[in-house]
Formats: sequence, C-alpha cells, structure tokens
Amino acid sequence: MAAQIAKRLLVAILLVLGVVTIAFVLVHVLPGDAAAHLLSPSLSPEVLARLRAAYGLDKPFYVQYGLWLWSFVRGDLGFSFSQQRAVVDVLADAVPYTILLACTAIVLELLLGTLLALMAVRRQNGLVDKVVSLGGMVMYTLPTFWIAILLVSVFSYGLGLFPSAQAHSIGADRWGPFPYALDFVSHLILPALAIALPGSAGIARFLRTNLLKAYRQEYVLAAQSLGLSESRIFRSYAFPNAVLPVVTILGLEFGALLSGALVVETVFAWPGMGRLAVTAILARDYPLVLGCATISGIGVVGANLLADIVASIVDPRLHGEV
Amino acid sequence: MRSIAVLHLILVALLLLLPGCRSREQNTHDEETVVVGIPADISTLNPIFVQEVTEGEITELIYPMLVEAMFDTTVGVLRFRPSLAHSWEFRNSDRDIVFHLRPGVLWSDSLPVTARDVCFTYELYGDATIGSIRQSALDGLQRADDGSIDIRRSIEVPDDSTVIFHFRRAYAGQLFDAGLPIVPTHIFGSVPRSGLRTHPSNRKPVGAGPFALESWKPMQELVLVSNPLSRLPGPAVLKRLVLRILPDNLSRLQELKAGRIDLVGGLEPLDVAGIRSSAPSVNIVSISERQYFFVGWNNIDGTAYSASKGASVIPHSLFGSATVRRALTYAINRKEMLATLLGNWGKEATGPISPLFRWARNDTLTPWPYDPAMASKLLAAEGWIDRNGDGIREKGGRPFSFSLILPAGDQFYLDIANLVQRQLREVGVEAHIQPVDGSVFFPTLMEKKYDACVAGFEIPLQIQMDDFWNSDLRRYPFNIVSFRNRRVDGILASAKRTVHEVETGPLWKEFQAILHQEQPCTFLFWSSRLVGVNRRVQGAKIGVLGTLYHAWEWHTGKSTTQ
Repeated sequence: MAAQIAKRLLVAILLVLGVVTIAFVLVHVLPGDAAAHLLSPSLSPEVLARLRAAYGLDKPFYVQYGLWLWSFVRGDLGFSFSQQRAVVDVLADAVPYTILLACTAIVLELLLGTLLALMAVRRQNGLVDKVVSLGGMVMYTLPTFWIAILLVSVFSYGLGLFPSAQAHSIGADRWGPFPYALDFVSHLILPALAIALPGSAGIARFLRTNLLKAYRQEYVLAAQSLGLSESRIFRSYAFPNAVLPVVTILGLEFGALLSGALVVETVFAWPGMGRLAVTAILARDYPLVLGCATISGIGVVGANLLADIVASIVDPRLHGEV
Repeated sequence: MRSIAVLHLILVALLLLLPGCRSREQNTHDEETVVVGIPADISTLNPIFVQEVTEGEITELIYPMLVEAMFDTTVGVLRFRPSLAHSWEFRNSDRDIVFHLRPGVLWSDSLPVTARDVCFTYELYGDATIGSIRQSALDGLQRADDGSIDIRRSIEVPDDSTVIFHFRRAYAGQLFDAGLPIVPTHIFGSVPRSGLRTHPSNRKPVGAGPFALESWKPMQELVLVSNPLSRLPGPAVLKRLVLRILPDNLSRLQELKAGRIDLVGGLEPLDVAGIRSSAPSVNIVSISERQYFFVGWNNIDGTAYSASKGASVIPHSLFGSATVRRALTYAINRKEMLATLLGNWGKEATGPISPLFRWARNDTLTPWPYDPAMASKLLAAEGWIDRNGDGIREKGGRPFSFSLILPAGDQFYLDIANLVQRQLREVGVEAHIQPVDGSVFFPTLMEKKYDACVAGFEIPLQIQMDDFWNSDLRRYPFNIVSFRNRRVDGILASAKRTVHEVETGPLWKEFQAILHQEQPCTFLFWSSRLVGVNRRVQGAKIGVLGTLYHAWEWHTGKSTTQ
C-alpha cells in the first residue's frame, strides 16, 4: 500500500504541475494585464512601463513561466500584484477558512444525507419516503445562490439566529477563546448549510437506493436468518456496502470545495479561496492565480487519495489497494 | 436503524442550533465603534503605493500631511488648513513655499515627526523605480538634466521643523501637491527601494494621524483605533472605526438596514425608497457632481491611428463631423435616462467641468434638448439618409452603424447603452452594444481602437483638463475621444500658467462653450454618490472630499437598530 501511495503522490505532483501550467496559459491568453488596472491620467507611460518591469510583465511569456516555475520549485509562489504581498501569505490567510468551510459542509452533507436516507428507507414508499425524494429533487435543482440568500434572509435577518456575513463578529477576538470559537462556528453554519443542502439531497437519494439494494442481498438475508439485530446488520453489512460510492462522491466534492465556493463566499462574505481566485483572475494577478490553482490541484488530488484510502478501510475487499 | 437515525437527528440539531444560542448583543457593536461597509479589501496602507480611493482615504486618517484640504462649496475651490505644518508662506514670486512644522508631533512609536520625513517621503514619491501613482504630484518640482525629479534642489530642510518646497513655477495646485501623506524615515529609510513594496510596515503602519491600525484581517475587516499620541488635530473621538469587507451589494444594504453596519457608500438610487421605508434610522447623504457619464464618439479613424502608431490622424467617417455629433446628442434623451437610471439623483451635464466649480461654470449654456426631428434634419443635411428603407441611414454606401463599447459586467453602463441604442435607432442610427473586459476597456480607448463608447470619469477637486482634451494624442492618451482644437489647446496652456485658480474662470467658460458647440462626446449627466449613514453616527462631514473625511470627529449617540 505504501508503494501505491508513493506512486499516487508522484502522479499527483505531475497533475498539479499540469494544472498550474494550463492556468498560466489561460491567464496570459486573457486580454490585459495587472498593470492595466493602474491606468490613470496621473500615471505616466514611463511609470507604467517601470511597474510592468517591476512585476516582470515585460518579459516574454515563456520567460515568465520559467521564472515562476523555478520559484515554485524552491517553495516561493511569487508576489501578488493585487494584494501587494507574497502569494504564500495571501493563501495562508484564505486556505484555513476554505478548509473549515469545506469540511463542515461535507460533514453536514453526510449527516443530513444519511439521516434523510435512513428515514426514507425506514418508511419505504410511504409519505416520508415520497417527501424525502421529492424534497431532495427540488433542493438539488435549486441554484446555490438562491439557497444562500434564502438561508440568510430567514435565519439571519428574519429570525436573528445566525450572523449574516463574515467569519467573526466585530470585536470577537477580544471575547476569550470559547466565545470566539462559538462565534466562529455560528458564522460557519449558514454558508456550510448552503453548500450542504443540495449535496445532502443527492446523497440521500443515492444512499437510499444503495441501502435498499444492500438489504436485498443474500448476505443480509443470511444475517437476518441468523437472528442478528437490526442495528448490527445495518452497521456491519448494509451500510458499509451502501456508503462506498458515497465516499467517492464526497471525495470528489471535497476536492472541488477546496477550490472555494465563490457564490456562497460572496453572499456570506466568507474570506475563502473562491473569492480570492476570482479577484485574482479579474486583476490578471497571475502569481496569485497560479497559487490558487496549486492549492486547488493539491486539494483535489489529496481529497481523492483520502477518499480512496477511506474506501479501502471501509471495504475489506479493497485492503491494500489505493 | 432507528437509534442511528435518532443519533443523527440529535447531532444535526446540536450542530445547527447550539451556535445560534448566542447573545443577541453579539450581533451589535459597542457604542464607541462605528462600522463602515466597503466592497473590497485594500492592498496596502503605505501611501506611496496606494492605488484605490478607499486606500487613499484610510491612509489620510493614519499618516500626517503638511496641510489639510477642505472644499469651499459656496465658491467651489479647494482651501487648505494647517495640519502637520502650523503655518506657511510663499516666497520668490510664489515659486517657493516655506512650511513650519507643528512642534511635538509624534509618530505612533513615540519618535518625533521632522522635516526630514517630509523630504524623504517626497523622494520616494518621485522615485521612478518605485512607481508611485502619485508621482505626477511632483511634476512642478525641480528637474535634473535627465528629466527626473531633483529632490535635493526641490525640497530643502534647513532644520527639523522647517521644510521648503522649490517649484519650477507658481501654479494653482502647489499646496495640493505638497500635501501628500508623509511616511517615517526611521521605518523606511534603511529599506532597499526594491524591498519597499513588500515591507511589513505597509500592513502595520506607523503614523501620526488621529487613527492607528489595530488589526487587519485580510478579506474581512480593518480596525482603526484612536491614536492617543496624535496632535493632528488630536486623537479621534471614536474608540474604533471598523471597515468591514462585504463584496455583495445586497449584503451591505441588508446589514445597513439591520443596524449592524453604520455607513455604506455607493448605494443604488433604487435602494433609497426601500431604505427610507424600512430603515428610518438610516439617513441618505448625497455626494453630488464628482462623476459624469458620457457617450464618447471617436472623432478620428481609430484603425488608421493605431495602425500608424499615431502618425495618421484623420476624421472618423461617422463621428468626424461636429454637426453629426450634435445630431446624436439631440437624439439621446438625457432627461429620460436620468429619471430612469438615477431616479433624478443627478443632473444633466453640459460638459466636463463640474457644477461644483461655481466660479468656472458657464451658466449661459443649457443642455441641447432632446429633439429627434432636429437630429434627423442635421443627419440628412450631412448626407445621412435612409435610401433603401431598411431603417438605417447610409452615406456613400456605408450604413450609419457602429460598435458601442462599454465595460463588461457593469449593469449601469449596460442600461445606459441600451437606452442609447434604442433612442438612436429611432433616428436611423444603429449601435451594436459590445461589452469589453474591464482590464482592456481603457487600453482600447487609449489606443483609439473603437468607434463609440459609454464611459464615466470621476473628477479631481481642482480642474485638470489637459489629460482629457489636449490635442497631442500621443502625450495625452486619455483624450479618448481624440478631440483636437487649437483654441482649446491655447486655453489649457493659459490655464496652466495662471497661478490663482479662480482667475482661470473666463478661460474655462470659453472652454465649455467650445465643447458645447463641438460635442466631441455627448455628455449625459453628473451622478450623485449616495451614502447611507445610521443616525447614531454624529459629526459626519460626508461630502465631496470623501466618505471618511474628518472621521476623527465622528461620535455616536444611542445605538439605533431595527
């Protein structure tokens, strides 16, 4: 298994390099550059030319790529033109918020999705099952921004239960560790729900189908005939087999969330990678774009590797395979 | 399975409900704090590298300046009050200004602010390798043989409390140019110029202004606190000024209405009625007449100009004639546009000189009226007639059809373009709307690679028309409509030579009359910038000098929330 993981890591590195190369090309294909945002009557063409030179924008495309790659290999992701500081520092501010949002959303998605699937399976073809199926379909098709706005309108401005924006209340860092943590979690819930709700609907439908299929398998019938308890059958036989594909889906989704969830981050002013990446692209801040692409690539590859490892743990038949 | 479902239900309920059990007080802020909502984060707190308006306003609260600007709205001129300099006098036929620094002014690390800080700062502003966008403020200073700013000849420091600016000639903007924010030599003096842009002090400033930075959480908020050491003019009255970053317009509006934010700029006119009915605690302040919008007609053939790298300047086949341009102005209903788009939060424009400058305003000029019949008559007189009955005029086989470019992603510009397109169609002129990515919009205009555009400019508080109307298109690429007029060039040159701004009044009046006749572009309207302020914020002097102007005087009454 260790050798397989090592092989996967090597492939992952090449994959990430491929992603950032494509991102580099795409940013340079777009018209305009970072200096174009500084255009104003008070900025003489000579000063603008010097700024372009200071940012390295006057060099040929392939030279810029080579220089960036050389820095990247040495662990230096360059200087962000739009943020006026090192890309590593910019990412260090945004990545933790993105990871926390993604993790919380995935956990909520799994919990809610499993809960809905269990309710539906327990009352198969009953009213609950039909409501869960129909409700899930509706939730899955609603646009994320609509869900986000609805959540903030009802639970924040309407009921006053949760804050509407940002990751902290004003002055929260002066409250003490526990109130600060609680405040942070309260800010995290609505954006995480906005991501989790549509996903949980999909998980619920998928898991429901898989659970029903698992309960029809011979090994479950054998376990029932042996008199094993319902919870034991569910825990040891039905659920592990039903949840395996869900683990793969969640792995893919987690990887995507690590790139940031732009719409949710914008509505909730969440300081994550999504907003950062789009701002960087619009500003043609290619070092920051490449930094975001690097994190995104690592995230997707890492999340998938993690999903495969979890799958190999859940399913004994996959032990040793990654 | 039931027990597992119950467990799931409990876990979900805990996760969702527990954080909601927080004190409602945590939704509000204390009474000595004012919260301002801003749409985007800033990139630096070093005035040398400031690029955006918000950055500029914040750095002026933190750093000292020799003089403080104020705008006399009754006359329409900038006036200056002592700040770091407690007094000054002009010498040498007004070419020199001697500033006497206020004693006892300290940086926030308790070191004294001296004249050497002023000299050093201007050296940085003028250093071409640093590339400050404020470099143009030094254009009036002494030059070396190679054309660069000669700081040694320009700024003299006879002692720690005196600094003398030596300008090449007297001009109206001397005090304005000498009033840039000053940075501490003891922080930046030993830093190599190449390392200045990334220096940590750009994000943890040492200033002497009424506010100091307490914290800066990127993409979240900046917190300024009252600086107890400040003597310029003193520590801020507020304990804290929080700038909260909320990129979404709707979020900022909702937070303002809910009382979680006290001040939001850039409100939409359509939001005003809703705010007034649902949030009576919010006052609407209008900052008038600093931004105008226009439809720019490229007066020259842009293709020939850019192909020849500026050597070929020939009139545009559609917009090269002043009569045609006037006809297009007659065809555009600016009153309707103002009512529809701005709810009458604005004023029709007759030219690029703001009504703020009362001394320069030509009151004899009235906007050309909306008159499609006159538009048709003028176009026909110029040979533009719809001969084939397709609804579009032609001349010499060429239809009157063109691309109308605008910045992509901005609904306001798109609304203007749609109205223009519809109104021009009624007189047989066809405009194809073409949104252009923001980062290439102005380069496209400056390279003249367009036919017509919808654009807007925010004006400085001293009349500066050279960049936009000088006929030397290579030297002044911001003359985006490529207007060329010898008399206007003469007016611009004379205005530059005049020392006292108000004396240029007659020149600007003539300038406006020429533009009114020539219609190099169709001036649409001056828009008002709308700012929502919670009534608990008192002492706010929000106006043409910005939203945060004199924020050190703000104080709060009882907290008012919905």
